[in-house]
Amino acid sequence: MTARCVLVTGGSGLVGQGIQQALRENDGAAPDGKETKWVFLSSKDCDLTDAKATLKMMQEYKPTQVIHLAAQVGGLFKNMRMKADMMMDNMTMNVNVLQSAHAVGCNRVVSVTSTCVFPDKTSYPIYEDSMHDGPPHTSNEGYAYAKRMLDVMSRCYNEQHGTKFTTVIPTNVFGPHDNYNLQDSHVLPGLMHKALICKRDGKDFIVWGSGKPLRQFVYSVDLGRFLIWRALQDESVEAVCCSPDESDEVSIETVARSVAKLAGVEDRLQVCLASNVCILAHAHACAPRKSCFLIECRHLK
Amino acid sequence: MTARCVLVTGGSGLVGQGIQQALRENDGAAPDGKETKWVFLSSKDCDLTDAKATLKMMQEYKPTQVIHLAAQVGGLFKNMRMKADMMMDNMTMNVNVLQSAHAVGCNRVVSVTSTCVFPDKTSYPIYEDSMHDGPPHTSNEGYAYAKRMLDVMSRCYNEQHGTKFTTVIPTNVFGPHDNYNLQDSHVLPGLMHKALICKRDGKDFIVWGSGKPLRQFVYSVDLGRFLIWRALQDESVEAVCCSPDESDEVSIETVARSVAKLAGVEDRLQFDTSKADGQFKKTASNARLRSLCPNFKFTDFETALENSWKWFEENYDSCRK
Repeated sequence: MTARCVLVTGGSGLVGQGIQQALRENDGAAPDGKETKWVFLSSKDCDLTDAKATLKMMQEYKPTQVIHLAAQVGGLFKNMRMKADMMMDNMTMNVNVLQSAHAVGCNRVVSVTSTCVFPDKTSYPIYEDSMHDGPPHTSNEGYAYAKRMLDVMSRCYNEQHGTKFTTVIPTNVFGPHDNYNLQDSHVLPGLMHKALICKRDGKDFIVWGSGKPLRQFVYSVDLGRFLIWRALQDESVEAVCCSPDESDEVSIETVARSVAKLAGVEDRLQVCLASNVCILAHAHACAPRKSCFLIECRHLK
Repeated sequence: MTARCVLVTGGSGLVGQGIQQALRENDGAAPDGKETKWVFLSSKDCDLTDAKATLKMMQEYKPTQVIHLAAQVGGLFKNMRMKADMMMDNMTMNVNVLQSAHAVGCNRVVSVTSTCVFPDKTSYPIYEDSMHDGPPHTSNEGYAYAKRMLDVMSRCYNEQHGTKFTTVIPTNVFGPHDNYNLQDSHVLPGLMHKALICKRDGKDFIVWGSGKPLRQFVYSVDLGRFLIWRALQDESVEAVCCSPDESDEVSIETVARSVAKLAGVEDRLQFDTSKADGQFKKTASNARLRSLCPNFKFTDFETALENSWKWFEENYDSCRK
């Protein structure tokens, strides 16, 4: 029997580390106990924007499953300033990974997209199947369209070649090993970094925006467990949202207060209440007027 | 002053030949008379799905404008059978051409998309800005999404880099030098090929589908003239549909009868309604074209059809089929 080999692109990032932690919590074993080799790749190991290099890498590992996490990601400002880079880097990586995985006979590729790539104008809760029902928010359209094409490409491969490529759509992911860059991070790591600086330097902990927007936060280790399950035990091909229940949605203000408490700087927390002055420095680039962003994970249930 | 160089990918195909004919009809000159070098590339010259090869080619020619026509194309049945190929081949070519053109400092890339990539569920007529308002028809979604990304990528480059990349959206293009393969061609060359076989072998001229779907047909030479103008004289970046007026829309049945008449086989024309029709209606508005380019004239359909038929009949042995 051919040994099972799961290749994880972007393996050293937030979600990749989540998978690694999920494995450690199961004593390094796959959920079904079968022998599995895990390969966690980072950008140092392979330039996925290089088609030939990617193919060579796939030929070397011959994975039986791929979990495709690698992406050029960023917060609101990076997405707005570097639309072409966000589009082209992500598009080429996505094309190269799926194409080369298929070329070496890999039948199961689980790619990760995001709820931030959904149509800007939509009704709530959002369902997986509405991903292409309209344009994404213009502020992150480069990233958004490149990610959406993972869903389309997966479907095209399945139809023509009988593969079982699929996607998982998380909401806001957080956890250890995140990117905490103050300009470009997502909201939660950004808050943590600000809180730490505030604790260290005695300054105020200023949160951008009104704090009222609501989000469903997904712990990276939970997402990791779900991705492992989808890659190794599940054979379905429909896209699946991965997020907690609607009732577990939290406001940015709640998150900020919890982070402030953990840092011991509650008394210095300031949330800018004049929402027409402040802007949402938030990775999932939702329109400032959007007050909630609910996902119903029908397929997940 | 740097010499002007226009590079045309897919230069030997239907639309590329349309550009070449449009140039010939202007004695080889660009519409503004300025000195212009034209490079018409075909797949033999460069594999555009190869990023490094494409960049090397762009570095060699250093074009000042690019008209990007190269695509993996096909009719309804090819699109349905080979969705991954249609998506991946087109996506890689589109990424490589735009990326490498930008890398060598080319500021104007005019890419061609198609009304067939518009949302399946939409109101008519179609306007350029509604391209992404919903999913395309599932039968050609591989090709459709890859083409739509030309519009998105162009916009992203313009926003980040200040380039003037843009797209032109024709409806059904026809003309000499088409692909007449009976399995994979578009409707008009397919009809011509069937009519010719029918004429030659005395068989029936059987048209797939009911004949009821409606289309706006664009003569390749007209599209060629419009692309030349957009690349060399226009600086606008919005997508522009290139199609005749709504009132010039024709049914497949009407086209089939005209072709049958040219071939002299009208009495043997039949419709096989067990075959798929594809999208019923794809009416596009050319209001933006009319306001951008008020003096633009489309060749009369019957004249263009006759030109196309004559070329096909004379070049049957060597044409793509």
